[in-house]
Amino acid sequence: MGVYILRRFGLMLLTLFGMSVLIFVMLRLVPGNISDILFESAGLVNPAEKKKIEAELGLDQPIIVQYWRWVSGLSRGDLGYAYVSEKPAIDEILPRIPITAKLASMALFFSVLFGVPLGVISAVKQNSPIDYLLRIVSLSGLSLPSFWLGLLILMGFVNYFGWIPIYSKPPDSFWTEVGLLAIPAAAVGFRSSALVMRLTRSSMLEVLRQDYIRTARSKGASNMAVNFKHALRNAVLPVVTIIGIEAAFLIGGLIVTETVFNIPGVARFLVEAIRWRDYPIVQNLVMFIAVVVVVINFLVDMAYAMLDPRIKYED
Amino acid sequence: MAIAGDHQAELNKAGANVSSRWGSVAFYIRRYPLGAIGALIFAVFVLTAIFAPLLTGFDPTSTNAKASLARPGAAGHHLGADFMGRDMFSRIIYGARISLAVGIGSTLLSCIFGVTIGLTSGYFGGWYDLIVQRVIDIMQSLPLLVMALVMAASLGPSLSNTIIAIAIPSIPNIARIIRSNTLQLREMPYVEAARAVGMGELSIAIRHVLPNTIAPLIVLGTAQLGSAILTEASLSFLGLGIPEPHPSWGRMLSESAAEYVRTAPWLVIFPGIAISLAVFGTNLLGDALRDILDPRQRT
Amino acid sequence: MALKKRAVLAMSAVAVIAAATSIGSSGALAQTAATPKQGGTLRIYHRDNPPSASVHEESTVSTNLPFMAIYNNLVIYDQTKPVNSAETIVPDLADSWAWDATNTKLTFKLHPGVKWHDGQPFTAKDVKCTWDKIAGKDKDSFRKNPRQIWYQNVKDIEVNGELEATFVLTRPQPALLAMLASGYSPVYPCHISTRDMRTKPVGTGPFKFVEFKQNESVLLKKNPDYFKVGKPYVDAIEMRIIANRSTRLLAFQAGEFDMTFSQDITIPLLKDMKSQAPKAICDITPQYVHRNLMVNRESAPFNDPKLRRALALAIDRKTFIDILTEGKGDIGGTMLPLPEGQWGMPPEELAKMAGYSNFEANLAEAQKIMGELGYSADKPLKVKVSTRNIAIYRDPGVILIDQLKKIFVDAELEVVDTTIWHAKAARKDYTLGMNLTGMSVDDPDAVLYENYACKSERNYTQYCNADVDKMIDAQSQELDKEKRKKLVWAIEQKLNDDLARPVIYHPRDATCWHPHVKGFVQHQNSIYNNWRLEDVWLDK
Repeated sequence: MGVYILRRFGLMLLTLFGMSVLIFVMLRLVPGNISDILFESAGLVNPAEKKKIEAELGLDQPIIVQYWRWVSGLSRGDLGYAYVSEKPAIDEILPRIPITAKLASMALFFSVLFGVPLGVISAVKQNSPIDYLLRIVSLSGLSLPSFWLGLLILMGFVNYFGWIPIYSKPPDSFWTEVGLLAIPAAAVGFRSSALVMRLTRSSMLEVLRQDYIRTARSKGASNMAVNFKHALRNAVLPVVTIIGIEAAFLIGGLIVTETVFNIPGVARFLVEAIRWRDYPIVQNLVMFIAVVVVVINFLVDMAYAMLDPRIKYED
Repeated sequence: MAIAGDHQAELNKAGANVSSRWGSVAFYIRRYPLGAIGALIFAVFVLTAIFAPLLTGFDPTSTNAKASLARPGAAGHHLGADFMGRDMFSRIIYGARISLAVGIGSTLLSCIFGVTIGLTSGYFGGWYDLIVQRVIDIMQSLPLLVMALVMAASLGPSLSNTIIAIAIPSIPNIARIIRSNTLQLREMPYVEAARAVGMGELSIAIRHVLPNTIAPLIVLGTAQLGSAILTEASLSFLGLGIPEPHPSWGRMLSESAAEYVRTAPWLVIFPGIAISLAVFGTNLLGDALRDILDPRQRT
Repeated sequence: MALKKRAVLAMSAVAVIAAATSIGSSGALAQTAATPKQGGTLRIYHRDNPPSASVHEESTVSTNLPFMAIYNNLVIYDQTKPVNSAETIVPDLADSWAWDATNTKLTFKLHPGVKWHDGQPFTAKDVKCTWDKIAGKDKDSFRKNPRQIWYQNVKDIEVNGELEATFVLTRPQPALLAMLASGYSPVYPCHISTRDMRTKPVGTGPFKFVEFKQNESVLLKKNPDYFKVGKPYVDAIEMRIIANRSTRLLAFQAGEFDMTFSQDITIPLLKDMKSQAPKAICDITPQYVHRNLMVNRESAPFNDPKLRRALALAIDRKTFIDILTEGKGDIGGTMLPLPEGQWGMPPEELAKMAGYSNFEANLAEAQKIMGELGYSADKPLKVKVSTRNIAIYRDPGVILIDQLKKIFVDAELEVVDTTIWHAKAARKDYTLGMNLTGMSVDDPDAVLYENYACKSERNYTQYCNADVDKMIDAQSQELDKEKRKKLVWAIEQKLNDDLARPVIYHPRDATCWHPHVKGFVQHQNSIYNNWRLEDVWLDK
């Protein structure tokens, strides 16, 4: 077991190293760099001054030198300076994380709140009208473009309440913040709750077919008891896994939602930084996302290994 | 082979009357009503894309000052017109081609690479497999949309680049599933038998392993198709999708249209419905195909 | 002194009312009568992230709008008068100014007792520092220096004591004052580095910089020690960046903001605004960012003058205007058209421009030329129209392609990532390009040198014609405005004949604010100069 954990930990570091190389190279394949954008905004083309900026930012160095500077800086906890704001990158990234984290956890909360019970109901009532209805609703959750949904929500609010649920000033209390984030979180959560529901349904169905469930039933346990006590307990492991992974991947959905609802989180910031070729922001933010994903995966694997004795550690 | 076998098993198990081809179709419709609806939507989607020019008299790129923001039904514009006076109905009809091109193009691309990589790494194992697995790990440590965004930015805006930008981040998932499928198949008795008879490894992989990955591949592919269409829409929304003048549904409802959401809601509602319906149909179909083809996941 | 200022104000109030009736803009201007109230926060939405806070280093209204209020100029276009002209230039940091007899020395007498926001005194040295930086003479130079060409004739700045500065020119250039009065010409402090000016600027203006959060917000607060006593009226200005246009429109309509971003409301969107926020005041003004065509004259096929002529004749300007601005845009040359434009061509001059009138006949001639060159509907000329991947560039591109079909040109839109657009243009890596060109001062010197002079850095198309250069110099030194106009119109004709950068149309857009915002005037012939915001107050 100890060896397994160590091995998985090593692989995790390897993945992160790979990610750092990948994002670094990919960014430099993108046409244009920050000096192009800066000049673009001033509407100028003067090769000499452009060279000066590139030299100032170290972009004239060989790519391997640039990479070394970044990674060695990272290991000292120095993320470099953002190109656009000319402030330490860490000061640009850190303050934006909490709001995205709050949004993501609220979305996750919604998805579990609706996804799990509805998934159970759908599985238990397999092939009944309610099952069909729930399946259709969950599938539509996976089929709507999220920005479209967000836009329709905004339009509805302005039309019917004369109020717009966007982030247009910093909230002054915890509850206003919750109120502010609830609507975008629900818009994102709709999609993830559909995912969670479908997964709960299929793993419930699998468990319901197992022998011990049949045995429990034949012994006269009530339907309710069987469904919730025996079946759900066993179906929960894969569901927890998907929730864990979904938590990390929510950030993809958040990019669009943060844009529509104008929430100043990291997801939207990443898109802007890509647009501005602000390498220090993009690199570090991508690494941050990768760390979150990889660590969650690692924890999920660990949980699995501890909870499910059937896992072979040699894999 | 695998499909035919599964079909037969399915039909036999249900004790259906399978004397005619139509009989089996009727059986599937009864057995998977949602899947049938999905198949129907998907068929309409594909036929629309193929026969686009026959379905509308308007050129989707032709502008007309007089028809700017025309209401649905006005001056022959069934679904109205956008602010440049371009007919919405024909743009949606032709948009089906673009969405289908993106969906099928990126799905095929990611499946070809995914299968090749998954099959070879699962079958041959060793160092090669180890490296492939690490690369997959790396690519999967970023959300798909983030990966697609960076790709789209690197490649620049065009139809083919958008297809590539969506396809590449989708490869790891396919490769991973095909690999684990291959790992199981490699241990199958008939593969051992083929090896005993002295068949070459490569021809075993192609003749015995590859055909058996088709079923999971179809399931993966349909899911991929729907998600590719949605990813394109998101990229377009973020300004990195398919550029003008291609009538992409995603861009139609995000740029120069969303602004008119209150005065000309049809500009936003119809393309949104088109995307949602196409993806919904593909997803329904995908669910049914999974039930039929992949008995381990049967619901 | 105070007396003089009050007189100026009273005069401008009269002028505003006069202008409002004569130009017939939306009646937003007849509001100067009430006494301004103090206090409140002015909330404006912003459309994108300003590249930096340093006005001298940027050339986008995205920077001017949030940061102009931090600074002062030497002179400024009267904020309360809608049309900028030589007559509306009023004192800012300079109380008075005078040319010498040779018209080559311009001396400014500076206002005494002015302090920078950090408490340091403002002196004539700061004036010298600022224009030395623009000239590249200061060690702490600008990272970008887009308007250096405006001051190409400034030889030196002479400092005479604390409160007098003289611009010494190499030759007479009456337009210098016009450029100094632009929102792009603030005075910077000597003692603050250019880098700090980009991130935490210090000025003498009515508002102090508080914070600039990337992609999120810009906050300014009232400068209590502002040298113009009693101003500004609002306590703070809060600008929030909302990149998604539908979101910000809805937010304005829901009352989240007092004001839209400058000209953020296109004409087709105005209907929406009228129905959803009927009380909002929307002022439609020219953008002075004209849509134009770049033609690569050096390589096939448009190295053929006949083909260029066919192209010039085939542009249906009116259709562009009808589709994109519901008929509200204007046809003109590179200078802003009449009536707002000070240098626009009268109808009889416009009629002389090739392709500007009698479109049907032009099209027939263009088709004939194309036929002679061997093109037909079955055998079209295939070209690519390059443009940036932004809607305001793409939309006219789509229309152009539609129009080119009529002269047997099968054009395809090539959308270029916006970061490499100018570089691509500079490499001449295009056949046709759909382009936007913005002007900040309605004066021929500012417009013509920048875009058409051989040595200008912003002359992307690298159009270079020695005759035109001479003509530009000639108009620049002309002191008589009417004579200068004639010279400018001759240049317009020449540029159009050369297809230098054929102008398609000048658009108009609207800026909207809720009726409780008082004292704001959107200038009619520049969008860059009216963001000092010291006269704005909230009637709440």
